[in-house]
Amino acid sequence: MAVTVLIVDDHPSFRATARLLLEVEGYDVVGEAKDGHEAIAQANLLRPDLVLLDVNLPDMDGFQVASRLTARNGGATPPAVILISSRDPSDFGSLVAASGARGFIPKADLSGDALAALLG
Amino acid sequence: MSTRRLLWLVGIAGVALGVGVSTLLATRHFGDQAGGDVAATLLIGWSFLGTGLFAWASRPNNRIGALMVGVGTSWMVGMLANTDIPLLFSIGVLLSALPYAFVVHLLLAYPSGRLRSVLARRVVMVTYVDVLLGSLLFQAFDANIPDKADAPANVFLIADNPGLSNAILIVVTGIGLALVAMAGVLIARRWRAAPRVQRRGLAPVLWTGCLFLATLALTLVADGLTKSEELEEAFGGFALIFFLAVPYAYLAGLLGLGWSRGQAMGALMGGLNAAQERQSVRDAIADSLDDPRVVVVFKRPERDEWVDAQGQRVELPQGREVTAISRDGEVVGAIVHRPSLSDDPELLQGVADAAALALENERLEAELRARVKELQESRANIIAFGLAERRRLERDLHDGAQQRLVALSLQVNLARAKLEDDPATAARLLDSARDELRQALEELRELARGIHPAILTDQGLGPAVEALAQRSPVPVEVEGVEEATPLPSQVEAVAYFVVAESLTNVAKYASASHATVRVRRMDDHAVVEVSDDGVGGADATRGTGLRGLADRVAALDGQLRIESPTGGGTVVRAYIPCASS
Repeated sequence: MAVTVLIVDDHPSFRATARLLLEVEGYDVVGEAKDGHEAIAQANLLRPDLVLLDVNLPDMDGFQVASRLTARNGGATPPAVILISSRDPSDFGSLVAASGARGFIPKADLSGDALAALLG
Repeated sequence: MSTRRLLWLVGIAGVALGVGVSTLLATRHFGDQAGGDVAATLLIGWSFLGTGLFAWASRPNNRIGALMVGVGTSWMVGMLANTDIPLLFSIGVLLSALPYAFVVHLLLAYPSGRLRSVLARRVVMVTYVDVLLGSLLFQAFDANIPDKADAPANVFLIADNPGLSNAILIVVTGIGLALVAMAGVLIARRWRAAPRVQRRGLAPVLWTGCLFLATLALTLVADGLTKSEELEEAFGGFALIFFLAVPYAYLAGLLGLGWSRGQAMGALMGGLNAAQERQSVRDAIADSLDDPRVVVVFKRPERDEWVDAQGQRVELPQGREVTAISRDGEVVGAIVHRPSLSDDPELLQGVADAAALALENERLEAELRARVKELQESRANIIAFGLAERRRLERDLHDGAQQRLVALSLQVNLARAKLEDDPATAARLLDSARDELRQALEELRELARGIHPAILTDQGLGPAVEALAQRSPVPVEVEGVEEATPLPSQVEAVAYFVVAESLTNVAKYASASHATVRVRRMDDHAVVEVSDDGVGGADATRGTGLRGLADRVAALDGQLRIESPTGGGTVVRAYIPCASS
């Protein structure tokens, strides 16, 4: 069964391209969200296996959203969170590791292989 | 009529009044001691009259002189109570207490001639009412005025009612005593509030006045309570002596004031000469005026604002008096001091004049400090503005071109993966990638234009503004730019951004059908104006665009003004100094 994915990013053009790419790679994109609050709501509703989460969101930062998504919530298995950004990972220091996310992929390097490497 | 002529007339009338009343007194047919009455009339009447005229002439705007003339005149009229023509006699009786009311007024208004407090004004008003209305009512119901044989008839008598007239007398006397007590308290307060430098001038009049009021009170008490004629006459005699002493005390006060002024000016000069070693000019002024809270402030005429010695902007404090310091007819500073010092304007003016020269250095220093502060603020603003601009650029790059390039990269990756299996999808992805690339280029071009437009550097403000006008979706008319340019490059840059941001706002928010850009030179300023016929209601405090503009303009020491009444269009006007051009 295909891995279900929620894409969270405030740029519609990136969401559209990422959806296309992930679907080509065999992932099942079940939803999109444009900010942190919508991401949390959609994740609770859709229960995706993976949340592809942009670090720079308009309402809250991606690390906070990642912490909330990966926290145990009434016994339900939390989704795997992979942070993405168009910035360099070194801009964020240890925040990625502390956020509960599986890892970080620069947006321009997003691919099925990169995701698979982090999901293990 | 000139004051001089008026004073001559008053003087002649006063002398004539004294002569007339004395003649009537000397030729009367009742009582005795006509010689004593004549002497009292002239001595007291003319003393007050003469001193009053002197005071009036030397300080025409101060009411003390007029009040003294009032005392002297009313005293002489009051002496008609000792003559034997019924009407004049009755008028004399009616007005016989009026000089005391004038004296109370004079003492409470001394030395400025103004009644400072509401209480003082009320005390004086009630005193006038008490002496005039009280006398009239008493006269209306008492047939025994005066209690001398062969006295003329009281023409104001309505009915003889001893019970009523006695009650009136008690009430009028009671009120009079209360008023005298209140006046005494007010004078004591005045004394306490007076700085040392003024007390020498105040002492003779205030102390003589207090002695007069005290003996007057005792006379009233003796008359009302003891009915002892000896006691009443004794106190009355003292009261009369102190009353007579008031005008001479005034003259003594003038001498004292002059002496104090001389002392104060001497102290100031000493302090100023020693200023370099130990005292600031402010401290020297504070010492000489005996007001430790004196504040010296400096005027910055070009900004129309006041600064302290540290160059800090200050508002002139409320509740304290301000005396201007002028040089060559121009206000260069001010001394803020306690209100009571205003009673001696000559002293303040002398101190202000003496300080004007000595303060010049401190004024220049304050001006310099204020200027340095402004430059520091302006530099901090420029740095803050620069940082904000860099943040904006980073955000614009991140949200714009960078996102497009990311998408482009993903699309190229994807197209490459699809190239062999699905060439049609690969071609679609490459088309989309080309669009992204085009838009990324356009966004980068816009961004570069926002940082510094090449056309401005290459061709100057005129063509750059024309280019902005052509790109605007709203029709724009450009006026005066060619005539006003060239301007210094930094002024042209700020002018350009004023026009660019304003035209962006016109297109985005104004719903305008037409806009006009005007640039002109005014004195050593460039005035850049962008107006539209749109909906108005623009607010510089909201939105970063106009705020950023205001900062850019302020960084060059200029000002941005926005007029945008709801429904009435918007005018954005920038005044940018360009003295260096």
